[in-house]
Amino acid sequence: MKISGVHLASAAAAMAAATVAACALAAEPAPPADSPPAGQQLYARHCLSCHQADGGGVPNMQPPIVGGSWVKSDPRALALFVMTGGFGSAERKDSAVDNVMPEFRQLSDEELAGILSYIRARFGGGASAVTAADVAAARADLKKTAPTTSRDTGARSGRSFP
Amino acid sequence: MRSICLAGVVSLALSMVGGIAVAADNGGLTVPDGFTVTVVQDGLGAGRHLAIAANGDIYLAGRNGLVAMRDGNGDGKVDETAPFGNVQGTSVSIYKQWLYVSDDVGVYRYPLKKGELAPSGARQTVVSGFPKERQHADKTFTLDPKGTLYVNVGAPSNSCQEKDRQEGSQGRNPCPILEHYGGVWVFDGNKLDQTPASGRRFATGMRNAVAIQWNGSQNALYAVIHGRDSIDTLFPALYNAEDNATRQGEEFHQIVDGGNYGWPYTFFDTKLGKRVVAPEYGGDAKKVPEAGKYPDPLVAFPAHWAPNDLLFYSGKNFPAKYQDGAFIAFHGSWNRAPEPQAGYKVVFQPMKGGKPDGAYEVFADGFAGELTDNNPSNAQYRPVGLAVAPDGSLYVADSQKGRIWRIAYTGK
Repeated sequence: MKISGVHLASAAAAMAAATVAACALAAEPAPPADSPPAGQQLYARHCLSCHQADGGGVPNMQPPIVGGSWVKSDPRALALFVMTGGFGSAERKDSAVDNVMPEFRQLSDEELAGILSYIRARFGGGASAVTAADVAAARADLKKTAPTTSRDTGARSGRSFP
Repeated sequence: MRSICLAGVVSLALSMVGGIAVAADNGGLTVPDGFTVTVVQDGLGAGRHLAIAANGDIYLAGRNGLVAMRDGNGDGKVDETAPFGNVQGTSVSIYKQWLYVSDDVGVYRYPLKKGELAPSGARQTVVSGFPKERQHADKTFTLDPKGTLYVNVGAPSNSCQEKDRQEGSQGRNPCPILEHYGGVWVFDGNKLDQTPASGRRFATGMRNAVAIQWNGSQNALYAVIHGRDSIDTLFPALYNAEDNATRQGEEFHQIVDGGNYGWPYTFFDTKLGKRVVAPEYGGDAKKVPEAGKYPDPLVAFPAHWAPNDLLFYSGKNFPAKYQDGAFIAFHGSWNRAPEPQAGYKVVFQPMKGGKPDGAYEVFADGFAGELTDNNPSNAQYRPVGLAVAPDGSLYVADSQKGRIWRIAYTGK
């Protein structure tokens, strides 16, 4: 997988971002002990109906997150992928799945960081958490030229059967 | 070349009823008292629709291509299997001496010659040139006795939003998709090399009518339409997840010339029991469209059940109550998550004079088995195609493993 226009954050920036995120989380009131963490709740709200509770997707309709390459990729690249709706899958006819992914740039840096950290921990083989600073950096990339050619490799190939 | 697995069929526990092998566990299905189930074929991969010729030969369409099957010794189980052709799609139907099939971009036919199982004759193109789309792309079809070809041209969209499936995105008005999609187009099934432009839009406002069928006893066209997805995630201020899982009916209609069935401007809300304006078009979860503009469905089936085939029963095997009634294969939901998935069954809708005559009943169930993680991927089987054999038994095709069941009435 190759992503043009996205740069890896430096180790120092990543550390700084982690610190910022930790502070931001600490400042929020703790959720009730019996409710799932915010990232999981946000996943249920925005992602689950298509990608399903187990991240397995739906054959031919929506790709799995589990086994895909994006979930484990660079945090900033993953954030950009999700904010752009799979780099504009809605406008493309070459996608490997039936249904388009909408854009999620309307969510805040913190919300996206929560979702992405959840899917990486749960479906990404324990890939590192994504910080609000990672998302903010990706959001800055969004204003530059957006990549248009890459797509996830975890999906099926072939045609559609609802 | 694909290898065909018959081992699964052979190893099933069997008993014999009137010379027909009957699966001891009903092939995993539950059916009403008096019906027995035979697994006639297994392991073909993702099946779609079925057609059965007057001599009993079975033709299955699927994502792996077309397969012809024959039960040579009459024990109800396939013993000759012949993949053929080069069409990967959903629909298959027999009209006169032709086997009509379709894929995402066209409808074709093969000659059926006496004694031949897999057609040896060249494929002819009846219609081609539908734009290549991803969503709702199956060109399912049906033919009337004159050879009029009715093609379902599904809308490549959920609800004609400016941005498909984007939270809060408004509906395009008028929806430009309806010019070329989201309805039924008619062609002359006896003519070759037609294009979409040579067809005529017969009916509109239909998101995706995979289950489309000519009803011979009524001389009329019927369809069960896949309703819209995601009212909750697209308009969270109006609907919650439970609403999305339960309110958008799968609409069963008689389809008339010039009819408009309301997509994308409306959907039939099964909680309110009436048609409402879609949230993309100013709907507020209560607002109703102009009276009389769109017909109410004959039946609104539960949301997201995914009606994938429709069959009007006119065989001689089933008891009288089934005559002229409708069987519907529901492929099963994905968009009900996080609520429990549903569908995955064959339903019988009693009909009289072309209208529903009482409530629908579940006819065959148990296809999905344990739906681990509530994910449709984990369904054991998913019913997708229906056909009646010359002896009146009902055949059901599955899309998960390619199993085919024969359901017959024996009174036992």
